Amino acid sequence: MHHYITEGYVLPNQAHIYWTSMIVLYPYITGIVAGAFIISSLHHVFDKDELKPVSRFAMVMAFAFLLFATLPLLNHLGHPERALNIMFTPNVTSAMAGFGFIYSAYLFILAVEIWLVYRTDIVHLYNETKYPALKPVYWLLALGVLDISEEAKALDHKVMVVLAAIGIPAACGLHGYVGFIFGAIKANPWWASPLMPVIFLLSAIVSGVAMVMICYIVIHWVRGRAIDGACVTALIETAWYFLIIDVALELLELINHAYMANEDWIILKELVTGKLFVSMFIIQILLGSVVPFLAMGAVVVFKERIPAAVRNVIGVACGLLLLAQVGAMRWNVVMGGQMFSKSLRGFLNFQIDIYGREGLIAAAVILSLPFVVIYVFSRLLPLWGSVETFPKEWMKDKPPVRQPLKGYTKFTS
Amino acid sequence: MRHAGHFVRLLALVAIAMVGFLFVRSQVIPKDFGVKGHYRLSAVAEEAAREPRHLGSEACAECHDDISAEWTAGKHTTPQCENCHGPGLMHVKKVSDDSTAGYSDKILTQYETAINRSTGMHECRWCHLKTFERPSTLKSIASVEKHVVQHKGTFTPETKCIDCHNPHTAAVK
Amino acid sequence: MHRLSQPAHGGSQVTSISQPDDVSRRRFLETVAKTGGQSFLFGSLFVNTALLRLPQAGHDAKSRAETEIGKGVIYGFVVDTTKCIGCGSCVRACRAENDVPDGYNRTWVEQYTFYPDGEVFVNSPSGGEDGFADPLPTRNVPSGAEQAPMRGFFVPKLCNHCIDTPCIQVCPVGASFKTDEGVVLVDHEHCVGCGYCVQACPFGSRFIDPRTHTAGKCTWCHHRVTKGLLPACVVSCPADARIFGNVSDPESTISRILATNRVQVLKSYLGTRPRTRYIGLDSEVI
Repeated sequence: MHHYITEGYVLPNQAHIYWTSMIVLYPYITGIVAGAFIISSLHHVFDKDELKPVSRFAMVMAFAFLLFATLPLLNHLGHPERALNIMFTPNVTSAMAGFGFIYSAYLFILAVEIWLVYRTDIVHLYNETKYPALKPVYWLLALGVLDISEEAKALDHKVMVVLAAIGIPAACGLHGYVGFIFGAIKANPWWASPLMPVIFLLSAIVSGVAMVMICYIVIHWVRGRAIDGACVTALIETAWYFLIIDVALELLELINHAYMANEDWIILKELVTGKLFVSMFIIQILLGSVVPFLAMGAVVVFKERIPAAVRNVIGVACGLLLLAQVGAMRWNVVMGGQMFSKSLRGFLNFQIDIYGREGLIAAAVILSLPFVVIYVFSRLLPLWGSVETFPKEWMKDKPPVRQPLKGYTKFTS
Repeated sequence: MRHAGHFVRLLALVAIAMVGFLFVRSQVIPKDFGVKGHYRLSAVAEEAAREPRHLGSEACAECHDDISAEWTAGKHTTPQCENCHGPGLMHVKKVSDDSTAGYSDKILTQYETAINRSTGMHECRWCHLKTFERPSTLKSIASVEKHVVQHKGTFTPETKCIDCHNPHTAAVK
Repeated sequence: MHRLSQPAHGGSQVTSISQPDDVSRRRFLETVAKTGGQSFLFGSLFVNTALLRLPQAGHDAKSRAETEIGKGVIYGFVVDTTKCIGCGSCVRACRAENDVPDGYNRTWVEQYTFYPDGEVFVNSPSGGEDGFADPLPTRNVPSGAEQAPMRGFFVPKLCNHCIDTPCIQVCPVGASFKTDEGVVLVDHEHCVGCGYCVQACPFGSRFIDPRTHTAGKCTWCHHRVTKGLLPACVVSCPADARIFGNVSDPESTISRILATNRVQVLKSYLGTRPRTRYIGLDSEVI
């Protein structure tokens, strides 16, 4: 915490900002998790076939980000070595105390989901991997059980569907409680709102979909693989729909504040039109919402008339804008709420550190760690499709699997 | 159930993890947590065990009885001794049995300075330099220079209030 | 759909083989899981709120004036802003008594100055630690013109030790708690330094101590009070602007003051029910 230059009258203890980049980063990371999981669930639970090409990757991405969700919090705590107190002596009236349990439960659900999706591949790779050194890894991942009979697969599938269904409210809980952490604080008029959990959740989904979209297109560009147009369109559509609802609620929140014009509105108005002007109206609303709304809307409305190359560029560009939008939204809530004093008479100027424990570099490092995990995962298991889709890349050379000729009936034996 | 071997192993792992968690918790959680409420009971006693650092003017009188008598008889009894001279605990510790070991240098010097700090100028300003919001019943002056000149004194930048006023009784010397 | 595990039929347009039992069973499972999951979440949230957080349980209208006569020792605090002279003795005494870190305050004094054009100038230089010895009776007001002020006063502030504390409510680990006498304390061995209580306090009474990395705040000098002494700020105030005592004893000074004065609390609309009362507050004091 540093002394920040204050304007007007700021309560003495509020001349320091206590929640900085790490607290902006934490909901950002869990948001990407929630959004990626929704994409995967849209395929697994709601049978949206267009999203099949990204469903495995989305799940892996969700898991990779979830692994690091605690890191910004641990980095921020005054006593990270006592962090487990949250699970040993949780205060049931505190939304924050829910973190340990909600996070653990959701991590478990997601881990089992991925495990069940990949179990067939794991066993195949245990038997026939190109890299024998990895055999023990696959054995561990399979928990030593190599049963991939039809009955086992059918059971896996049933459990997977149930988990995916439970996973949706769990993902909502994981992200909704973060919104509640802010929304239930009556002391802060910028935060206190019943809309906060919903806004956090919806913007989370937007960010997750955007991240999946960017990764899908960019990775396939780089690897020179074909990009499934229907999938990109489905991603853009999903992002577009959720963006509309999300921005509608964000604007509703602001308009409600302005219309009701409570005692706090005088300073909030000055905050929004002053210190938060660029991050809110330029980044969050204009560049982050209006531009993607129009560009992605064109894809949704004009569908095939948009050439695939243009659509892919729109996907990546709007994805990046959406990531910026959601980041700006988190920033505006977390930092905005601390840039004015509870005296309702003064402001602080917040300058983010570059170095330092909660600086920009630390945030960038934490945000990039999930990609390291995704890369490591991609060395073990296929991110796109299964080992049967790309057998040569994964498995030892062997006689090709019987491929039935066209026109002949397939016999299952 | 056949073909559920992997689930059995998974659930076994989960069970082990949960048992492990509960075991670690039982060892780590403070024994007196939750006795009276959702907090560690000994925290109350720990907070109460801290030493009071302001001893009160009666404690000063035990050694500085002459000044104390003068102060009690004068017109300046609203501020306590420690208001201007700072808290007395460290000073008493040092002069009585030198039991100042274990206290950080920062606290020691802080209190040493406070005890010696009464510059006879700075402290008076706190109450007696005129501020608009102050109730007018309190005697205060708008500027030291004007006050000195008004009372036929010679003002220099080194002029102190205690040049003319007894700090303990407020009487003019 | 990955229900088909065999290699796909080459060139066939079969995309899904409708198997009604499988589909309806799956839909049923999904619905049950979703409904069950949501019901559980909402149900537990509702139960939590209802059972554990409703402060109105047992609260009747007349106890808004908070008489707790005869209920064992319960402490209270009164700040008389009509008497405060803005000397800052309380701030200095508190800082020395409690080792308050530089830049943070367990208690502080605010200066309010009212100008004819309606501007209110609020100030608290270093929390009032060095007094308010700015002798100029006129200041440049925000509108630019110099004006002589109309009226002004000082408001000392400290932790309100609320009855329905938002800070204890949000502490995730149970490091923030209330003693039987109503004093709100922090367990510095258990606090993880998350800062949630600092955000939840409507009065800005809390801070994170940069040396211990735990939450800090005014404790009503609990370590003095339990030894029969008064808080350092009360002892050092030369103007009798701070009063502390046992509100459950009808003969105590504080009880008599509460019984005979119009008292207010800060931000009463937030419902935290502070135990620190004020005499002489103005509507501009937030």
